[in-house]
Amino acid sequence: MPLGQIVPPEQAATPESSPKPWAATIPRRRLLRMLGLGALAVAPMPVLPELLRTAGSGRPLEPVGGPRKPATTRDGRIRQWTMIIDLRSCDGCQSVGGPPRCTAACIQGHLAPEPMEWIEVYEQELAGGGTRFVPTPCQQCQNPPCNNVCPVGATFSTPEGTVLIDQDRCIGCRICMAACPYDRRFFNWGEPPTPPEARLADYSPEHQVPARKGTVMKCDFCPDMVRAGTLPYCVQGCPNDAIYYGDLEEDIATNGKVVVSASRFLSENDAFRQREELGTKPRVYYIAGHGEAVGRDAFSPGRAETEWPWTEIVDGAVTWHR
Amino acid sequence: MASVSVWQDRLEETALAPVRRTTARFWALVAAEVAVVAWGIYAYTVQLRDGLVVTGMRDRISWGLYIATFVFFIGISHAGTLISAILRVSQARWRTPVTRIAEFITVVALICGASFVIIDLGRPDRVLFVFIYGRWQSPIIWDVLAITTYLTGSIVYLFVPMIPDLALFRDRLAGRTSRWRTWLYRTLAIGWNGNSSQRRSLAAAIGVLMILIMPIAVSVHTVVSWIFAMTLRVPWNSALFGAFFVAGAIFSGIAILIIVMAILRRTYRLHEYVTEKQFLYLGYLLAAFAAIMIYANISELLIHGYKLEEGAEFHLRQLFLNDFAPLFWFYLIGGLFGPIVIALVPATRNTLGVVVAAVLVTIAMWIERYVIVVSGLRVPLMPYTPADYAPTWVEWSILAGGLALFALLITLFTKIFPIIAVWEVAEDHEATVSAIELTPPAVPEMPAPSGGTYS
Amino acid sequence: MNATFRQAARTALVLVSVAAMTAALAATALASHVVVRTSVPSTGVVGDIVPLAIDIHTPDGAALSGTTVVYYLHMAFAGVEGEAEIGRAVTDDAGIATLLYEPRSAGVHDVRIEYLAPGAEKAEEVVATFEVAGGAQLYQSAGGPDIPGINPGLLMAVLGGVWLILLSVSFRLVSIARAGDAALLPEGDGPR
Repeated sequence: MPLGQIVPPEQAATPESSPKPWAATIPRRRLLRMLGLGALAVAPMPVLPELLRTAGSGRPLEPVGGPRKPATTRDGRIRQWTMIIDLRSCDGCQSVGGPPRCTAACIQGHLAPEPMEWIEVYEQELAGGGTRFVPTPCQQCQNPPCNNVCPVGATFSTPEGTVLIDQDRCIGCRICMAACPYDRRFFNWGEPPTPPEARLADYSPEHQVPARKGTVMKCDFCPDMVRAGTLPYCVQGCPNDAIYYGDLEEDIATNGKVVVSASRFLSENDAFRQREELGTKPRVYYIAGHGEAVGRDAFSPGRAETEWPWTEIVDGAVTWHR
Repeated sequence: MASVSVWQDRLEETALAPVRRTTARFWALVAAEVAVVAWGIYAYTVQLRDGLVVTGMRDRISWGLYIATFVFFIGISHAGTLISAILRVSQARWRTPVTRIAEFITVVALICGASFVIIDLGRPDRVLFVFIYGRWQSPIIWDVLAITTYLTGSIVYLFVPMIPDLALFRDRLAGRTSRWRTWLYRTLAIGWNGNSSQRRSLAAAIGVLMILIMPIAVSVHTVVSWIFAMTLRVPWNSALFGAFFVAGAIFSGIAILIIVMAILRRTYRLHEYVTEKQFLYLGYLLAAFAAIMIYANISELLIHGYKLEEGAEFHLRQLFLNDFAPLFWFYLIGGLFGPIVIALVPATRNTLGVVVAAVLVTIAMWIERYVIVVSGLRVPLMPYTPADYAPTWVEWSILAGGLALFALLITLFTKIFPIIAVWEVAEDHEATVSAIELTPPAVPEMPAPSGGTYS
Repeated sequence: MNATFRQAARTALVLVSVAAMTAALAATALASHVVVRTSVPSTGVVGDIVPLAIDIHTPDGAALSGTTVVYYLHMAFAGVEGEAEIGRAVTDDAGIATLLYEPRSAGVHDVRIEYLAPGAEKAEEVVATFEVAGGAQLYQSAGGPDIPGINPGLLMAVLGGVWLILLSVSFRLVSIARAGDAALLPEGDGPR
């Protein structure tokens, strides 16, 4: 297919009207090298160094703050944190007459910005009618959809099986929020409305105070507290001791009052997990009930609204709705 | 003969005219577009200052207009793939007058689409983290890799077939235009003078690119769809998403191409080259892809609607009956059935009809992206009241700015680069003329072939 | 340091109390007309099965079958101490009940075995002690995303191939540029 001649012969390239192409003045080899390097320079291989590193090592990426020491048992085995919530004892704090205490304790302990409820008490309809209250923290999945989709590794799993977020790396793309099937991730849409004292804390992924604008946060199973041997805020805050926190490695759990063997507690009470069919393998177990152990009737609906008791918030912060 | 030379001169003059002469109307248009872009930039500075709280997005519906527009623009970028690559491979001659603009739409749409993702980030100052800390398991990284590859490939695919036309500009405008233009055409034409070895190299390069660009383009919109399909949201949990999005992309790409060509044809008087035939054929393609989209929609909706699993009933109700019904029905009727009706009914089967169909399709496809994103996130995951989402003035302003940027870049392009692939149109014309000359004279009883029916 | 000291002190206390309790129980057992013997391996390893057996006989040597025994283990976690039930068993025809227990925590453990002998008003108990040594990690956390079947090498190879082809096109451009000084050959393809 001959390419049509664009320029009629009388206007053919003469030395004056069409100067020698600049490319022809450069030695061939050097020109090839320039072009080759130039092409490689714009290649989308900027991701290559990190991709090769993670592909080769198979390790999860280290958080920006540096490696942490995992919590261990006495003989050095890494703990595998779990939570067991006994719904027989949870009445949404109806008997207490206020907002759910687990949520309130978490908000106060972490200075959580409004309107984040890292542990949120949902009211689920029972199959036969009536409702039950289901406190829902981050389910700390062992096949976490949020980890899988994060483009920069800002959310990561620790050796203890907890899923954390590094707000120093998060770019705020929110694909993790689209991926989480439990509605457990929260975004700092504006300057986070926390009390001013939050600014005094040192940030780490295990202690997410202060929150950062434009990043994601969620329940973190209070890793700094449990490594030191205390229980998370929600466990401590529950007036009915409905929440147990435990270690699957040592097969033990406690709600602050009694100690149980975790595996027996789960299997003898036919424990279940939320949305198991999705294959996320959550670490939060539930024992079916509707608060009957603390005298709640299944047909009494409603719980008090969660409150954020900040008298003062940082300058320039606004709150938003979920 | 002489008539071919006259025809050729007219073609070249038409191609050179926009560069030779610029009217006040042009500058008024550019000023208007720049003003809208500036307003969009102002809205973005408000967002940078106060955070994404100035948008309508919240925890429960955490993506909205920005991501919908991103998908829309990446979809439009498939205009070039279809026209330049697929039609070139299948040697459809009628495409030659529109290839250049199709390729430029691709490049501009990719640039605009990529900007909208960055605008959506909560921490745009950390956008380089995507390159420093990128995880290959993430659909967003697949997206980054695919789009940078497609953008590079499209720029090359825009540039390479433009070389002979740039040489034309270099030769015909030398000394008669500003210095920077002279330098630009001389540099970009890389010494083209039409000799046989150069023609061979060019043909080889174009041959490689036209084949290569197709799988790249298919992969781009497939990985964009996988940003949604790799999550566990009920409306997005579909194996069909990849093909569905690619079909939708080509569909919206054809529509945008029709609109842009109609505008440029009117402005630069390209009626002799961009004839009704181009519009009709593009209109038929539009109708064909509308049929494919109808098929894809039926597949998706019927399968979920028959079973009505958890979440599917809520989603279908919000699409067909409740919150999204007006938008969704407009998309179905105006965007999918409209082009088919317009192509079938003889009264509307003309340039104007096809342009109207294209406008409907463009609006409908933006609405479809918006509905996919927002309705997908709206299906409740846990027992809470479904949230609502409405874009704020910041989001609408940035959308307007993005569209204005798209228009602005095309407007400026027409003043700098040849908007018609002169050598390809000339080649096509030559081939047709020689074909007519070589055919034996028709038997007198046979009707004379109607004018303008090139193969 | 503090923990080790506390643990050592507790171990000593446990041993002393076990000795005391065994003596007491032996007396009790004699008084409540059943003879109870426990058979517990003195050492075990975390993750292995430790059989905890109890044998209940009447003083005349007849086996007492069908008696439910409940095993309790003393545990401490996060500042809370207490006993947790670790299993139940029923004595068989030979009067022996065995619980196959998998210890999950290293250290010295007291297991308190409670049984209700026929004719007694309240449950009686006997305590045994065994020591468990640390073992291998039982649970492996997922430790980050692991998507089987997606091979980064393959992805890089495909991407690299595409970019190499684009690079080859750039070489074509170079040859166009270099051929720019070649003369235009009049091959008769000028405008007709």
